[in-house]
Amino acid sequence: MKEVLKLDHIQKYYGNGGNITKAIQDISFSVQQGEFVGIMGASGSGKTTLLNCISTIDTVSAGHIYLDGTDVTEINEKEIARFRRENLGFVFQDFNLLDTLTISENIALALTINQVPAGEIDGRVRGMAVKLNITDILDKYPYQVSGGQKQRCACARAIINQPKLILADEPTGALDSHSSQMLLSTIQSINETLGATILMVTHDAFSASYANRILFLRDGAIFTEILKGGDSRRTFFNKILDVLTMMGGGVSDVL
Amino acid sequence: MYSKLAFRNIRRSLRDYIIYFVTLTLTAALMYSFLALGFSPDILAMTENMSMLTTGILILSVLIAFMSSFVIGYAIRFMLGQRKKEFAAYELMGMEVKTVRNLFLVENGIIGGVAFLLGTLVGTGLSGLLNQVVQNIFEIPHTYRVLFSFRAWGMTLFFFILMYGFGMFRAAKVIRRQKVIDLLYDNQKNEEIRFQSLHRSVLTGLLSVAAMIAGVILLEKGLHIQTNEALLYFGGACLLILVGVYELHRNIPVLLYQFAKRNPHRKYREENLFFLGQIGRRIQSSGRTMAVVAILLTISLATMFLGLTMGAGYKANMEAYYPYDAGVAIDAPLTKNSMDSVLSFVDERCKVEDSVTYYLYAVPDEAIEALSLSDYNHLREILGLSPVSINNNEFFVHCDTWNYMDDIRQRLEQQPEITLNGQTLTVAETPILTEPMEQYQMAGTNGYVLVLPDEAASQLSGEKIRLVMKLEGGGYPELRSELRQFLNSGKWLPDIQPGQELPERVTMGVTVKAWGVANSLTGFTTLSFCGLYLSIIFIILSCSVLAFEQLSAIDKNQKNYAVIDRLGVSAQKQASLVRKELSTVFLIPLFFPIVLTILLVVGTQFIFGEAILQAGLVLFYGVITILLFCAIYLTYFGATMFLFKKVILRPEMR
Repeated sequence: MKEVLKLDHIQKYYGNGGNITKAIQDISFSVQQGEFVGIMGASGSGKTTLLNCISTIDTVSAGHIYLDGTDVTEINEKEIARFRRENLGFVFQDFNLLDTLTISENIALALTINQVPAGEIDGRVRGMAVKLNITDILDKYPYQVSGGQKQRCACARAIINQPKLILADEPTGALDSHSSQMLLSTIQSINETLGATILMVTHDAFSASYANRILFLRDGAIFTEILKGGDSRRTFFNKILDVLTMMGGGVSDVL
Repeated sequence: MYSKLAFRNIRRSLRDYIIYFVTLTLTAALMYSFLALGFSPDILAMTENMSMLTTGILILSVLIAFMSSFVIGYAIRFMLGQRKKEFAAYELMGMEVKTVRNLFLVENGIIGGVAFLLGTLVGTGLSGLLNQVVQNIFEIPHTYRVLFSFRAWGMTLFFFILMYGFGMFRAAKVIRRQKVIDLLYDNQKNEEIRFQSLHRSVLTGLLSVAAMIAGVILLEKGLHIQTNEALLYFGGACLLILVGVYELHRNIPVLLYQFAKRNPHRKYREENLFFLGQIGRRIQSSGRTMAVVAILLTISLATMFLGLTMGAGYKANMEAYYPYDAGVAIDAPLTKNSMDSVLSFVDERCKVEDSVTYYLYAVPDEAIEALSLSDYNHLREILGLSPVSINNNEFFVHCDTWNYMDDIRQRLEQQPEITLNGQTLTVAETPILTEPMEQYQMAGTNGYVLVLPDEAASQLSGEKIRLVMKLEGGGYPELRSELRQFLNSGKWLPDIQPGQELPERVTMGVTVKAWGVANSLTGFTTLSFCGLYLSIIFIILSCSVLAFEQLSAIDKNQKNYAVIDRLGVSAQKQASLVRKELSTVFLIPLFFPIVLTILLVVGTQFIFGEAILQAGLVLFYGVITILLFCAIYLTYFGATMFLFKKVILRPEMR
């Protein structure tokens, strides 16, 4: 299988002089094409910093990040925008949909930014909406639909350009349990049926159990890694809980 | 402790306060400088009716204070919106609502106080400049001198407290009524975008255009009415035009937005989708404000242009309005000897170098009056014009009142002959002479007169008598009131022509060029300065409202731009989108005011161009108006753009 993402000894420090905070100590790992990787850890463990560095929103202090062979840390400011729109898809906890556009337009926005011919846009949006079961809300505005529907719209926007990597930051953080379950099934199906490579940051064990592999971070470094393999989701969920207990996570990180 | 906190808050919220502060300072500066000019003893001593400038400025100051109070209220609400979370934090920590309110009021009090002091300081400097401009108009030798008027300062303070107090009162009410939950979560509320149907927008748009056309028709009709009824027409025209401007500004952007979104090729081209979304929200949330701003700008531009043009036109036409040094017009059949004592009275005060006493003869069955050729030529001689000669069977018309010219020309073409007491006269080779000779019914009651050979004229009845004088040194302004006093005092005993009777009411007019010139300059100064005062402040207030409208949406915009940043829109494109968005919002309320101003300039040139004796004056002041307006508008636009970019874009993108 092809290696999509490779992190090579990355470090991230904040501050200067004698007042330095090490957000990421030394992290190396790789993600293969079509993998669904979860990143877990307590608050302050460096999950979001790691995601921001991979997504080019933040820069690393040391080390290299390769996405499909391109060293992300070497891309200059002018090239970053093009790199993002061609290679990355984002799903955030707070949806990040534009209230000023309808659901359909929010999805189309990603295509227009990628300069897809106007004639193709409506068809592609409709096709994606069918896959994510959001056809009946296409003409509605984000404030007229539920949180789960908003997040599915965000997923549609993230994958419509077929990016090499989809980055999800706590995608279920703002959803109720039913909507979370539906969204996670959607993400799983995007991974399995469309072959999308997904990197999801979460502190919720249930959400993480949908991934194939989980990296656990503690104090800016990888604590351990577990693979789903042939386990059922329930078994995998229990394994996650065991690791979290071992890491010393509180009750809130478990339930 | 609280005042320290208030000071720190001001420093921290400098970004939000800067435009507000500049607007307050400019308003105070302009208000003070114009009031100081209106109260200046030097200016008031220039002419006897210069007090009309003071009255005009005072009346406008009341109007400006009233308008400013709304803008200040608006600005304060904007700042409350920006700091809701901070107030919520104070309240959550246990601070009483009353204390939060007082803290905000102290902050605003400090800002208002500093803006007032700085504004009046700037205004003091500015009033010196204005004073120089006025002295220049009156051709009085002048040097720059700082003008401080305690009365003007007191009046400015009074108006400032009124407008500021109103705004503060409203802010206090808002803070008192806000709940902590609203303060905390208000910025998370969804924005709903709903527009009226396309058909309704088209219909309203068409009705607005119809209202504006009806307004222009009424205006045109009103210009041809010489009675007070014209005011009704003008009022109706203004109302229809302003309603039209308002509704068009509400509908045109909605229509354009809806049409743009209907065409997929336009909608999906580059970042148009994002841009349309941003503009759609602006139209939805600020549509009314932008329409009101459009009305304010229309009023401002029209006032500035009309004030400057009419004032300058008045000055340019002054020489034509007062061709003679002095004149007396009495609409009664008096003997020519009756004017001897008047001449002596004037001569005692100011040597009369030349004079002519003459009749305006009644022409049977015609509305026009007649003048004998010899009297006419004597008047021309006084004016330094060459004499005119005609045959004994000829006549011509003198008319220097532009609006009758076409009718007279037409009439002469249709009827080139007249018969008076059995004698037929034909129109001379030059049928109409137009040199400026009219000065309060000196050459005909209606501004035109028939000039007849002496013999033909002598057979008519001289029902109105006129006296025109050429004075040594041109006379002096007070001569007018002295002469009027003499004519009404009973010392003057006129004789009536034999066989004639005195009419029931006698109209009497006295004109003195020296008085007229001073009076015209006063009119010019009053019209121009009042026009400038009102319009500049209105433009500043309108620009402030637009700027606040943009800055109030800055947080939501920041979020939206962060989304497209993550979706891969380049920094350069984001900067260009910010520019495009802000320019559109600043341009929307500008469209019709500019179109209407251009129409007004063209219309004024078309209607009054002939009457204003200085060629190109209308166009010149049209350009001045637009340039002055653009300078203020672009300054506010630039400042808003700077703040907007600073908050929304990362440093390397700006």
